[in-house]
Amino acid sequence: MTCGQRIVGSVAAASFLLLLGPSWAQEHISPSSGTPVVGDALVTASIGDASRLLPLLATDSASGEITGLVFNGLVKYDAGLRVVGDAAESWTVSDDGLTLTFTLRPNVRWQDGRPLRAQDVRFTYEKLIDPAVHTPYSSSYELVQSVEVVNDRTVRIRYREPFAPAMESWMMGILPEHLLAHEDLNTTRYLRDPIGTGPYRFVRWRTGELIELRANPDYFEHRPWVERYLYRIIPDQATLFLELLTGGVDVAGLTPLQYARQSHTPYMERTYQRFRYPSFGFSYVGYNLHDPRFQDVRVRRAINQAIDKEALVQGILFGLGSVATGPYPKESWAANPDVAPTPYDPQGAKRLLAEAGWADHDGDGWLDRDGAPFRFTLLTNQGNDVRRQTAELIQRQLQRIGMDVRISVVEWSTFVHEFIDQRRFDAVLLGWSLSRDPDLYDIFHSSKTKEGEYNFVGYANPQVDQLLVAGRRTFKQDERQAIYREVHRLLAEDQPYTFLFVPDALPVVDRRFRNVRATPIGISDNLIDWYVPAAEQRYRRLAP
Amino acid sequence: MGKYVVRRVVAMIPVLLWISVISFGIMHLAPGKPTDAATQFNPRVSLEARERLAHLYGLDQPLHRQYASWLGRIARLDFGRSFLDDRPVMDKIAERLPITLLINVLTLAVVLGIGIPLGVLAAVRPQGWFDRTTTVLVFLGYSIPSFWLALLGMAWFGVALHWLPVSGLHSLDAEWWSWWPRLTDTAWHLILPVGVSAVVSVAGLSRYARSSMIEVLQQDYIRTARAKGLPERRVLFHHGLRNGLLPILTILGLSLPDLIGGSVIAETIFSIPGMGRLFYEAVMARDYPVIMALVTIGAILTLLGNLLADLAYAWADPRIRVGKAS
Repeated sequence: MTCGQRIVGSVAAASFLLLLGPSWAQEHISPSSGTPVVGDALVTASIGDASRLLPLLATDSASGEITGLVFNGLVKYDAGLRVVGDAAESWTVSDDGLTLTFTLRPNVRWQDGRPLRAQDVRFTYEKLIDPAVHTPYSSSYELVQSVEVVNDRTVRIRYREPFAPAMESWMMGILPEHLLAHEDLNTTRYLRDPIGTGPYRFVRWRTGELIELRANPDYFEHRPWVERYLYRIIPDQATLFLELLTGGVDVAGLTPLQYARQSHTPYMERTYQRFRYPSFGFSYVGYNLHDPRFQDVRVRRAINQAIDKEALVQGILFGLGSVATGPYPKESWAANPDVAPTPYDPQGAKRLLAEAGWADHDGDGWLDRDGAPFRFTLLTNQGNDVRRQTAELIQRQLQRIGMDVRISVVEWSTFVHEFIDQRRFDAVLLGWSLSRDPDLYDIFHSSKTKEGEYNFVGYANPQVDQLLVAGRRTFKQDERQAIYREVHRLLAEDQPYTFLFVPDALPVVDRRFRNVRATPIGISDNLIDWYVPAAEQRYRRLAP
Repeated sequence: MGKYVVRRVVAMIPVLLWISVISFGIMHLAPGKPTDAATQFNPRVSLEARERLAHLYGLDQPLHRQYASWLGRIARLDFGRSFLDDRPVMDKIAERLPITLLINVLTLAVVLGIGIPLGVLAAVRPQGWFDRTTTVLVFLGYSIPSFWLALLGMAWFGVALHWLPVSGLHSLDAEWWSWWPRLTDTAWHLILPVGVSAVVSVAGLSRYARSSMIEVLQQDYIRTARAKGLPERRVLFHHGLRNGLLPILTILGLSLPDLIGGSVIAETIFSIPGMGRLFYEAVMARDYPVIMALVTIGAILTLLGNLLADLAYAWADPRIRVGKAS
């Protein structure tokens, strides 16, 4: 609920639908037998209200979810995390990787009846790079040289240099030129009354309370079966849970505590199907690599061995997560299957530290070197209980090998501006929730260490630098896979971060909905295929 | 009297200016800026894009410039646009104000309706059984954390008994109903939030009423009234209550700004989009125009409330009537 959580939570690009994060295993699959029928409403909930319902300006997760249903990008991720066509039917990449040519589907229409045209794509691009538009997403388009309309259904995009993460940037929702050409995008009324090409069209918005969407009968794939999509704003997690108990909402993401301890009642079992799958985020301890103690890779490896990550997953996430070995979850094609989790080995950690000169020379129980004890502050942000508890467990575990860890919990803005940006920390406990493209240039490339940039630990490994650049310059999946697997291996070896765990996303969905299933990109990517058998429909009377 | 009012109103202006300077300063001293929420810790947003955005909102200008331009707009009654969604601040306030006003006025009515009789009855026989019982109950109500009481109420009346809705202000489709079901629907949704916030406030008010009444009932004129042989009822409600309510007037005057300031906790728990959440969210997002507008309006209402309390006091109590003495 805090700012910090929300910010980190909304890090994943808002350009595609991301209801509750990505997915794999699931406890139940709703039966999909029977014929889908139209009708009923899906009531879902969010802790925060949306702010602007045009994709370029949608910066919070609520706006991202709504625009994800109202608009389409050129491409999207499919359930297997591959890039597939969305509004585009097909595309080609030139051999030098500099030109992308997209062909639009012939049957995509704006919700006001006009056809989608290549001109709309060009218009969206122009607005993205327009310095007067309040969009934060312009940086993904800096390498674009030109966007050219070949004909109504073909658009050609040229780059100054090959840029593979660009594919993901074209998941940005396309804007209707015919409606917005003469509008000031920052203040236009369409920010609160959007018209897109997506499966759902916007109906109403009671600020701070509710947003309603209705099925778009002309949607190019097919009309969504569930007629209404109601998005309630419920800022408090406890309230949300009480609403679940009265059927006030149909879909909700639970906390590990709620999922493990409160969702096994007969009512909950009877009413909700539960899903569980790893999110794309990971928690980590990042070291200030300008600190001479942490410059020694043996020290970082020792800490990695001395932290019992399985105990963190069991104790804090109630087992609802998995141990992380690097920046990619197992489900990602970029993950290196050969990187195994480091076994918990406090004795091994002690040996490594002794090699580095750290031992209990004065017999006071704490490690020391040259008379100075090994004492450092683990800094984390306020308002995130999981993080605070993680810090406390790590403190206890490192105490066992003689490290004196102090915990400091700081309000998010202060944390970022006074400590991270100023490099005033020994070690931080944080999480990244990354997009599905494995590019990590901004986080681990040695050039990204300016104030306000994200390699704040100061990691510099020429080999990783080279790989990160190479990974951006090729579109070939197998080449990229080899590159990022190597990055994964090097990061696990170098330990600029100690990777801790990947929490699971824990949504529940009312049992009356059929065809619900979990995939690596969430449960809602096939939302248009969800349906409720006629006999079970709850919201029958359709409001005008 | 008229001259006095004018003088007081004019004297408010420098105070208001000071308040605005101080709030503006404190707000900018807090680390972070409005564009952070959209751009921070997002590797897909480059440093340059962040700086460009800050520039578009004028956040790269020196503080005194930013303050001057804010003051210039305020002088023209323009509160600017929110940094969060670029909507006019006044629109955002206008959308939330009626909800909060409604809840607070209802709460106030309930509090007055229960708190004053409780206090008066307790004052009739201090340390009597009624006084003792209400003292315990009232302190209990005062000490219970409102969020806990709210959750308890929701779990009991909403989930277990199904008597009341758990949260929200309207049913999903209330917008399309005719006015009567819509009204009852809203009333239905308001019972818990109003009830919970009333429990806490009743405590304070009934204590004020009680102590004030006890004091009044010891006055000579009450003894005189009783000596005259007036019925007790008349002594209590005519001679006693009128004087005993004077301090309540002050409290009511001072609570004027509270009327528009919603409770963050109650609004969050009950999912009600009121002024409290607007302010809280604005502070968390460092949405300067919204924060400044709310602080300014709050300051004006506080000052006005003080003035009103003074005037009401003078009207009710001839002994401190202004203009005659000064």
